[in-house]
Amino acid sequence: MPTEILINRRIRILAVTCVALMAIFVVRLFFLQVIMHDKYVADARAEQEKRLIIPAERGEIYLMDDGKPIKTVMNQTVYTMFVDPSIMDDVEGVKKAIREIVGGNTVKDYQDRLDDDTQYVAVAKQITKTQAELVKKRGLKGVGFQAESKRVYPENSLASQTLGFIDFDGMGQYGVESKFNDQLKGEDGLLQTITDVANVPLTIGDDSINIPAKKGTDLVLTIDRSVQGYVEQALADGIKRTGADSASAVVMDPQTGKILAMANLPTYDPGQLSGIKSYAQVNNGVVTSPYEPGSVMKTFTMATGIDMGAVKPDSTYVNTDYIKVNDRTITNATKGQTGTITFQHALNWSLNTGMVTVAERLGDGENINLKARKTMYDYLYNRFRLGQRTGIEVAGEQPGIIPTPEIPGAANQYATMSFGQGMDLTMLQVVASFSAMINGGTYHTPTVIEGSMKDGELVSNTEQKSYPGVIKSSTSEQMRQMIMKSRGAFASSKDRKGYSVGGKTGTSQTFENGEIVEGQTIGTYLGFGGDTAPKYVIMVQVSGKNKNLGGGDHANPIFTDISNWMIDYKKLQPKA
Amino acid sequence: MSYSTTYQRGQYAQRRTGMSRNQNNTRFTSSIKLGPVTHTVLVALMITVLGLIYLTQATKATSYDYEAQKIDSQIAELSEEKTDLEVENARLTALSNVRESSVAKAMTKSEAPAYVNN
Repeated sequence: MPTEILINRRIRILAVTCVALMAIFVVRLFFLQVIMHDKYVADARAEQEKRLIIPAERGEIYLMDDGKPIKTVMNQTVYTMFVDPSIMDDVEGVKKAIREIVGGNTVKDYQDRLDDDTQYVAVAKQITKTQAELVKKRGLKGVGFQAESKRVYPENSLASQTLGFIDFDGMGQYGVESKFNDQLKGEDGLLQTITDVANVPLTIGDDSINIPAKKGTDLVLTIDRSVQGYVEQALADGIKRTGADSASAVVMDPQTGKILAMANLPTYDPGQLSGIKSYAQVNNGVVTSPYEPGSVMKTFTMATGIDMGAVKPDSTYVNTDYIKVNDRTITNATKGQTGTITFQHALNWSLNTGMVTVAERLGDGENINLKARKTMYDYLYNRFRLGQRTGIEVAGEQPGIIPTPEIPGAANQYATMSFGQGMDLTMLQVVASFSAMINGGTYHTPTVIEGSMKDGELVSNTEQKSYPGVIKSSTSEQMRQMIMKSRGAFASSKDRKGYSVGGKTGTSQTFENGEIVEGQTIGTYLGFGGDTAPKYVIMVQVSGKNKNLGGGDHANPIFTDISNWMIDYKKLQPKA
Repeated sequence: MSYSTTYQRGQYAQRRTGMSRNQNNTRFTSSIKLGPVTHTVLVALMITVLGLIYLTQATKATSYDYEAQKIDSQIAELSEEKTDLEVENARLTALSNVRESSVAKAMTKSEAPAYVNN
């Protein structure tokens, strides 16, 4: 065969082979790039694209301090320090660093796990950035840090029951943390992007999403840090003096309904949850624990009687130290003020017979009939809004109870209600309605929300409601005078002179399983103070297991302490 | 008739040569001839250059990503330091700390102020 023909044939074979190979490549590429296109794009995206949730920063909580908001609940980035035993080459160095730098934050028995066959052993939690930097400087191999946000409480236990705390799942528990959990938690953001191997987001690709996280609302409370601090101190001193187990107090501005302080002892530090030993520590009894307020309610009976025109402060009745209501005889706790006496005198001496008489005069003058009961109910429940939730912005508020006028045995029930028994009310309800009684007759819904912070400025809360006309302003003025005289009769010796300070004692029995507990009473004091107008209302309660605590001897000194301090703090000037 | 024929010829001649009457026209003919291989190479080169330009721009954009990431990290770090300082400040000015301070302990309780009424 001639050489030329041979060469041509070989070239043809080579050409055919090349074409065949090219065809294989083309088919294969077509398969990969066209038929399998979606699969490989998805695989590539899964490899390159990251979808990261950007956690929202929880809103901070401010208290007021002399009219300015100050941060009281804050967020701080803290770190969990971990080691990877599989690549750690200087175990002693790591132990030394832990001991010297993060000693107080170590995880229990972490040393026992340093030899584990794992790549992650948490050795210290909630360490600060400074501590983390110091450890990093030592250049230890196999040591890493995980950032996380932590709620911090610089004021420790101050107002903790009003504030509440955050549980391990980041949910608010108790107080405003629970009530405003949705507003405080904000909205998480989303970052979907192609990243490099170091997880640095790159602006390539068409599917990138960047939704920034939205920080939660920064809440500003009406609680005044200084007032709260003083009230807590006064309660602690009071417990020490009286031997009580627990004490509560609430201070309110009667002209606005703003709560200036709300405290219960014993309490807890929300930054040290492990220190909580009992429910009583986290419970905000001022709003969650209705009780029989006792004789402080005599002021409400008098206000109802005066407002209805049934009695006047100087109206008289014959006191025999006991009074019969149906089959029941009601007696005075303090005896001896017998004869014809005024209702002012009855209030001063806290005489039950006087209040039952007022209740009778709301009816036919002889009995606490349906008309009298309906009137009392109208004032207590509808006007003073007792026995129902006030709407205060903290978790767990209880409504208490004001029995209706039609219940069986209502006359006896309403007779005891006239002097503060047979009803369950929270301290907050009593303070809010007492404010309406002495401020001219306007009920302001109690509130702990001053507003919120926006761009560093306080935006005031505008949702608070007021209800004027609870009682006539003339009744309110008469009640102020009566309550001041009542305090002046026995309890004003330590009051600052030249100011309007009034108050009423209350001592109530306690119940266990529906039975009265002998030798165990709760002491209450409810009063107000101010100059030309009432500027603050204070209610104090002290109680203790197997302790007879009274409004006059045990709660009143705490009231006096707080009241005198409030006069200075509010820079009130004495009357001429 | 003869004139008409001449005119038509002239029109045809103009259309064929693309030249106008009374106009100086020059036709340049390159002596370099580009074959199909050269054309292919040139197209390939153009595609390569365009590809390089694209790659340069894409890399440049990515380099900005790294710069942005660095700045973001710095911002985050400074914010963290600011928060830490705020927390420290809040702790130092907390009521319990103020009460326990040596300055507060050295203070005495004020007397009730006297007011002059005009």
